[in-house]
Amino acid sequence: MLKNYFKIAIAVLKRRKFFTFLSLFGISFTIIILMVMTAFIDKVVNDTYPDKKRDRSLYINKMELRGKESMNGGAPSYYFLKHYVGSMKTPVKFAISSGFNSTNTYVNNRKIVINYKYTNADYWEVLDYKFSEGKPLTKQQIDNAEKVAVITEDMKKEYFGDSGTVLGKYIEADNVKYRICGVVKTLPITSYLFYADVYLPITVTKTNLMSDKGYMGNFTAIVLAANTGDVPKMKKEFDGIMAKVPIPGKEWDHVYSHADSYIQGYLRTGNETNSGMLYAITAVTLFALFVMLLPTLNLVNVNITRIMERSSEIGVRKAFGASSFTLVYQFIVENLILTFLGGLIGIVLSLVAMYVINSANLIANLNLELNFTVLFYTVITCIVFGLLSGVYPAWRMSKLNVVTALKAQ
Amino acid sequence: MIKLQNIQKVYRTDTIETLALNGINLDVAKGEFLSIMGPSGCGKSTLLNIMGLLDEPSKGNISIAEQPTGKFNDKQLAKFRNQKLGFIFQSYHLIGDLQVIDNVELPLLYRDTTAKERRRLATEALEKVGLSNRIKHFPKQLSGGQRQRVAIARAIVGNPEIILADEPTGNLDSAMGNEIMEILLQLNRVDGTTIVMVTHDENMAQKTHRLVRLFDGSQVQ
Amino acid sequence: MFKHLFKMIWNKKKQNSLLIVEILLSFLVIFAVFTFGLNSYNNYAKPMGIDYQNVWAISYNNTLKTNNGDSLKLFYDNMVDNIKAMPKVIDAAHTSANIPFSTSHMSTGLTHNGDHIQDVNSFMVDENYPKTLNVKLLDGRWYNKTDVGSKQKVIVINNKLKERMFGKASAIGKLYNDDDGKKGVKIIGVLDDIKFNGDYQSLEYAIYNRIDTSSYRWLGKILVKVSPDANAAFESQLYKFMANNLKDSNIEIEHLTNKLTAYNKFTLVPLIILSIVAAFLIINVALGIFGVLWYNINKRRGEIGLRRAVGAPGSSVSAQLVSEAMILATLSLIVGAFFAVQFPLLNVFDLPASVYLLAMLLAVIFIYLLVLVCSLYPGKQASAILPAVALHEE
Repeated sequence: MLKNYFKIAIAVLKRRKFFTFLSLFGISFTIIILMVMTAFIDKVVNDTYPDKKRDRSLYINKMELRGKESMNGGAPSYYFLKHYVGSMKTPVKFAISSGFNSTNTYVNNRKIVINYKYTNADYWEVLDYKFSEGKPLTKQQIDNAEKVAVITEDMKKEYFGDSGTVLGKYIEADNVKYRICGVVKTLPITSYLFYADVYLPITVTKTNLMSDKGYMGNFTAIVLAANTGDVPKMKKEFDGIMAKVPIPGKEWDHVYSHADSYIQGYLRTGNETNSGMLYAITAVTLFALFVMLLPTLNLVNVNITRIMERSSEIGVRKAFGASSFTLVYQFIVENLILTFLGGLIGIVLSLVAMYVINSANLIANLNLELNFTVLFYTVITCIVFGLLSGVYPAWRMSKLNVVTALKAQ
Repeated sequence: MIKLQNIQKVYRTDTIETLALNGINLDVAKGEFLSIMGPSGCGKSTLLNIMGLLDEPSKGNISIAEQPTGKFNDKQLAKFRNQKLGFIFQSYHLIGDLQVIDNVELPLLYRDTTAKERRRLATEALEKVGLSNRIKHFPKQLSGGQRQRVAIARAIVGNPEIILADEPTGNLDSAMGNEIMEILLQLNRVDGTTIVMVTHDENMAQKTHRLVRLFDGSQVQ
Repeated sequence: MFKHLFKMIWNKKKQNSLLIVEILLSFLVIFAVFTFGLNSYNNYAKPMGIDYQNVWAISYNNTLKTNNGDSLKLFYDNMVDNIKAMPKVIDAAHTSANIPFSTSHMSTGLTHNGDHIQDVNSFMVDENYPKTLNVKLLDGRWYNKTDVGSKQKVIVINNKLKERMFGKASAIGKLYNDDDGKKGVKIIGVLDDIKFNGDYQSLEYAIYNRIDTSSYRWLGKILVKVSPDANAAFESQLYKFMANNLKDSNIEIEHLTNKLTAYNKFTLVPLIILSIVAAFLIINVALGIFGVLWYNINKRRGEIGLRRAVGAPGSSVSAQLVSEAMILATLSLIVGAFFAVQFPLLNVFDLPASVYLLAMLLAVIFIYLLVLVCSLYPGKQASAILPAVALHEE
């Protein structure tokens, strides 16, 4: 049965080449757009470099104070993290890092912009940066406030050129010289929780971190549970702590912060009333629907035209015992074959598109790639597309009266 | 075999009602070869479509092979047509995108038949109409007479009890027409298939067991 | 003739409805792209209001231990004077963090004659600000030494705000109440509009406050106008100077030209993505229209043959088919225009009505051209149908 449908589908495709081109163009183009979009989202939210232990981690990166008249949203302060989050019992590791700051340095009359980030010792144990040279910062180095740094491969290239090893050499940032003890793979800026060019010990900051007792600051914490089973417990413990955190001033009546999974934390806006997650999902869905709408309509249009052309075939099939249901089934299968063909072309073209986007370096170090997740979503898209554009024409086709269908020729 | 009782068919548009069939009563016996004649627009094709359950009468009862068909739903109708009826049309209605053999296999697709069995039955049917050497051709590579023979093979492949033919020789010259007629007569004689044929051609009609004439939707003979 | 065509379309409304919806959607897509594009172009065409070439922005954070406003002022004024004295520096000015092309914004509101104006950008600047950025003073005067210690709160506003508040009349000497509860703020000058959100963003309301001694604690930017020959070597010299003056501070020097390029991306990247997507959608729709028309004509060979047989010349047949397509387009555009006109009526997105209307006009022209192009070839093909052949097939 399916073999027969396949034969018919291929024959139909070959018959009106222009319409076939039209359908395939629409499908493959839609697939390209959706695939590039999925690849991008997948890269941004699903890439587990450098946080391989994501399933055991919770991220605390937003803090919000809310009063009747005003609200203040942003990252938490070092004091808040150290004092409140630091008192948690469940986590086995507690990584703290600052957001990245920019500064300049001047090498041989060349200006280099450096984004640097302060980190504690646990940061290097929670996260698995890929070292091409050297080692992470050690607890001892950090406790002793040694002027040491881990830099990225890109920074190494920019600062030192194509020289050999740079371990033990010095890099100057903010007028201070740091000895390099490790070189890691560069991250794209979209991984903003981990991105920096130079990673420094948290103890070498020029300001006294604990002196500011406010809750708002520029720090992020990652708490790591012993195993995935402890994560809900850890979340509960944090919520328990938040319930007891004193309100910092008369102008406020609520203080919010959350221990989030990576995606929740990534999308959190720092405003309780606006769920970043909801925004992101709505925006992505709307865009996808919008992009799919016109090609679908086009396909429906072309499909109907094609069906009318095949009225004799439909009449004959009905006369010889095909029920409406069988015909709908046949047509949808045919349409799915068409969409998958378009999807296949779309995948090839998406690879080209991703290659172009990667080489254009729109976002540095963000390399879009085709993986199984993306491929899986593409197949889903193809099916949705095939069904959407096939159901209405198939229904029209099955409703066709046999006598008129046979007469039409 | 086929029993029509007081069949009436009215076509309605916004403004006009046309009476296509008016009180037709007809009995076709098992193994009979019946032909229907009449001028253009007298309702003979409509009558044939109603017998073939492709069209519904506005009034009246049909029973085929002792079964009343009035209450069948879409699925039951499809199944019934598939098993009891075979159709032959004036303009052949072969599917251009399929090879001869696939065209013939078509009715079997809607039954539980294995691919091997389908192939065997279709080859057999094509042998009967003398086209076993054209299995892999496409319809457009065949002459009109050959096409109609493929259509006959398709009609008989499912071994139906009744074949309904709507002017099967209408598009053919007389030599080819006679050839087709011979095949139909043989089917009737040898296999005992009941055949109802609509025709324009008095000569063809004379070769059948019984002739019914229609005029303006009514039976005149 | 027109009535005849209309009748034909109406009788086939079911077949045509999908085509109409498709054209309608393409119109809306094109309308969106044109609105976005036109608005960006309109903004681009307006002058920037400042000379941003060779202007650098130094970021620092105040790390001085003292909280005494006067000694802070003394320290920072002295620092700016020293910067100005450097060889390649033309001018320098203290400002709040919301320098041109930065993502930092501060906004406030004010009330004038019962008219409450929201989303007014509030800047903290010093006396050197207009000279450093080379922005024109349109009316009144800029801050000077006489404003120090004056009881009357005075303010300089930008031109867009002035026009909202006073229209053509002069603003100088007029008073308003600000949202922080200060009554009777006196306007002393009107500064030319600055597109501080980059080339493609619209002008916004702005007020320029004079930096007072208490603000130095949290200020963190110095704008420096340098001569064109200032290079990285000089920049590093300036950096060293800052680092030595503010020992524990984080120092960064940025160029306004780079900041502008980065900021423009916020507008251009979405516009480019939207345009690419729209272009593909439109190609898709164009091919669709073309295909359906072409098919219809093949299907209507009999009708066309008959028309030719009763004496219609070939040109009239092709004109008929093209006109039919155009009527279809018109039907879609009427519905589309109904949706599009809601944007200026409901004032969605706060764009000028003229942008919407022009975008609508352009979109209408675009769709007509698209349909015309798509129907010309099928129409021409139809006119080549020979009546005898077509009728024989029937």
